[in-house]
Amino acid sequence: MGPFETLGVEPAFGLDLTALEQRHRDLSRALHPDRHSGAGAAERRMALGRAIEVNEAFRVLKDPVRRAEALLALRGVQSGEGKEPPASPALLMEVMERREALAEIRQSKNEAALARLIAEVRGEEGRVVQALTKEFATPSGNSAEILKRIGELRYYRRFLDEAASIADDLL
Amino acid sequence: MLLDIFDPKAPPQAIGIDLGTTNSIVAHVRDGKPVPLVTCDGSALLPSVVHYGAEGSVLVGRNAVAYATREPERTIASVKRFMGRAAGDVETTRLGAYKFVAGEAAVVRFDLGKLTPSAVEVSAEILKSLKQSALDQLTHVGGVVITVPAYFDDAQRQATRDAGRLAGLDVLRLLNEPTAAALAYGLDKQENGLFAVYDLGGGTFDVTILLLEDGVFQVKSTGGDSALGGDDMDREIAECMLLAMGATTPQTRTAEVVSIALEAARRAKHALTDAPEVSIELPKKGGGELQFVLTRADFDAWILPLLERTGKSCRRALRDAELEPSALHGVILVGGSTRVPRVRSYVQELFGKPPLSDIDPDLVVAYGAAIQADLLSRSSDEVLLLDVLPLSLGIETMGGGVDKILPRNTGIPAGAKATFTTYADDQTGFDLHVVQGEREIASDCRSLARFKLGGIPPLPAGFARLEVSFHVDENNLLSVKAVELTTGITQSVEVKPSYGLTDDEVEQMLIDALDHGESDFELRRLRDAQVEATRILLATDKAFDSDADLLAEAERLRIERALAELRTAASSASKASVVEGAISALDDATHEWAGRRMNRAIQSAIAGKNLGAVEQSVAHAAGVEAHLAKHGER
Repeated sequence: MGPFETLGVEPAFGLDLTALEQRHRDLSRALHPDRHSGAGAAERRMALGRAIEVNEAFRVLKDPVRRAEALLALRGVQSGEGKEPPASPALLMEVMERREALAEIRQSKNEAALARLIAEVRGEEGRVVQALTKEFATPSGNSAEILKRIGELRYYRRFLDEAASIADDLL
Repeated sequence: MLLDIFDPKAPPQAIGIDLGTTNSIVAHVRDGKPVPLVTCDGSALLPSVVHYGAEGSVLVGRNAVAYATREPERTIASVKRFMGRAAGDVETTRLGAYKFVAGEAAVVRFDLGKLTPSAVEVSAEILKSLKQSALDQLTHVGGVVITVPAYFDDAQRQATRDAGRLAGLDVLRLLNEPTAAALAYGLDKQENGLFAVYDLGGGTFDVTILLLEDGVFQVKSTGGDSALGGDDMDREIAECMLLAMGATTPQTRTAEVVSIALEAARRAKHALTDAPEVSIELPKKGGGELQFVLTRADFDAWILPLLERTGKSCRRALRDAELEPSALHGVILVGGSTRVPRVRSYVQELFGKPPLSDIDPDLVVAYGAAIQADLLSRSSDEVLLLDVLPLSLGIETMGGGVDKILPRNTGIPAGAKATFTTYADDQTGFDLHVVQGEREIASDCRSLARFKLGGIPPLPAGFARLEVSFHVDENNLLSVKAVELTTGITQSVEVKPSYGLTDDEVEQMLIDALDHGESDFELRRLRDAQVEATRILLATDKAFDSDADLLAEAERLRIERALAELRTAASSASKASVVEGAISALDDATHEWAGRRMNRAIQSAIAGKNLGAVEQSVAHAAGVEAHLAKHGER
């Protein structure tokens, strides 16, 4: 069962995350092992398995990269690193420059500059998510274009992870 | 009560236990309210101290504390700090009076000469004492919820559960301390919103951010330090006292001297909660006494670095939850160390609002544990706790890095899979190393388990496919399974972390500990089975009330027969195996029905409150079977 079906929502990229969270809570109310703690071993195992599935589906759908990949899987398109077209020179240049800025911040421990940089990249990420929403909304949605966007998101995600670990050290 | 004698037919009472670094507490719910039970010391707080007499006696609580300065090596305090630790862990090298069994063993052991108890066994003594107190007051003890710091790793949790089993307790659940505290507060105040729980105990620090919404307590993020607490404040003070006493070299710092300093440090710390200055009399090297004066200002300055470490964890937890401090509705204080005035003012500065402490910070965790134990044993659906994984779980990669399979703050129960491949031609074995922690290098993380998967068919490098799946249950306990997927040959290995005790070992230790060995053990097993039977009977009756319509006639008859047999077995059988057999027969009979009930619950959750449509779609057996076939059984 795919993550959309597990959570009982229509497959779409533009999901209402608040409603999704509510659905996750409602399903947890039904499936969480604590709700079956009095039951026999078989029922407890079953509830645990299904609760894990629901949590995993929620984790996939919250993450734009994995959500996009789940939608592509429904269309029979394979995705994943290596399946995406190489990044454009412009994006590579942009990422390289920001990486340099990040390296400097690692040295200077400039918190304000780090926050600015993170906000900037989050903005870029948001724009790609918007583009993906539009692309997925068109029934004829171009898979090649979508894969390219997923690749971009991955770049930003990796950058933000690195920035977060620097922020951890600065805390 | 006048006639408070043991009665095995009395209804089992669920209890909650806060197994603390400094004090332990047992509580239960009476008339809908959590209340502490009186321990063997005559008060709610039982000092978590165990004394092993040279002649074999074991004392717990204040009676043990009395030996702290006379026989410091044989009087074990703060054992929680050693739970789940291996021999040679840094924790064993800190200022303290204990000797440890040397070596590289997976479990740290205290060296008491003939006896070498592990931290699990010492903790079990504390739990046994609490259990006895509960038995004295409640006549019949049922399921138990034991709390653990949210930031405890898998090894520390396994060790805690083992201690519970070793004490002969029916451990329903391990519950995170901050979540327990939030439960006690949330139910008391009936408030919704975002809360931070700042929990500074004797030996551990935790911060948890959670959302309370209509009975759902959803943890957003958690952070902390499982080796930071009031003990560290004591050490700061004791260090200065030792210098003043002239104990500057390791030779002068005997176990007696160190424990005198630590004990005086604790007294000074407590006195400074109300007084701006305290003067303590200490023995001097070479005889005589000295007056050691400590001001609150000095103390505040000394503990600031410790508080800043907690601040860092708090900021990270807020960031992980993607929140600003202003989004919080309240900050809850938990743990005895939050009585220190500087801790309170620090928390206020950190979160920008005065913290809540109207429930006794020493008791609030035990209250939460008692509430959860009560809810679980009644199969109540008023409240739901949704917790998270505190530390990332991963696999060591070829270069010594870590491939994170489940990141920290993932909602639990959780599961994830990752696929690995061989790196050499004709490689037939695969070494897997499971680690927990946030560091990039595997050797900097906590090592949980190592295992080897053999029997891989010889193939060129990169052809074999090894699928590793992680499962984390509602207690935050991990199990790992690995399957080799090539050429249709699959083999799987179930991994239990290496430091824990196997079920057989626990059983053997239980048998050894009882006066009459096997026969006492059999009696205990029978009692456990009876408690379990009561629970299952209750749950099945409840299921009948709501979902009897999902049963075909033949099925219903089979279940009713199994129910009747279990009732008879539970009330009259003298062998545990008979009761256990009846439980498993009922389990078999209700298995398919359980799947259908679960599907109905899922459908009604998805359909919201619109139950009509769901009823229609699942009412007929045919529809039920089709539904089952579609969703499969796992």
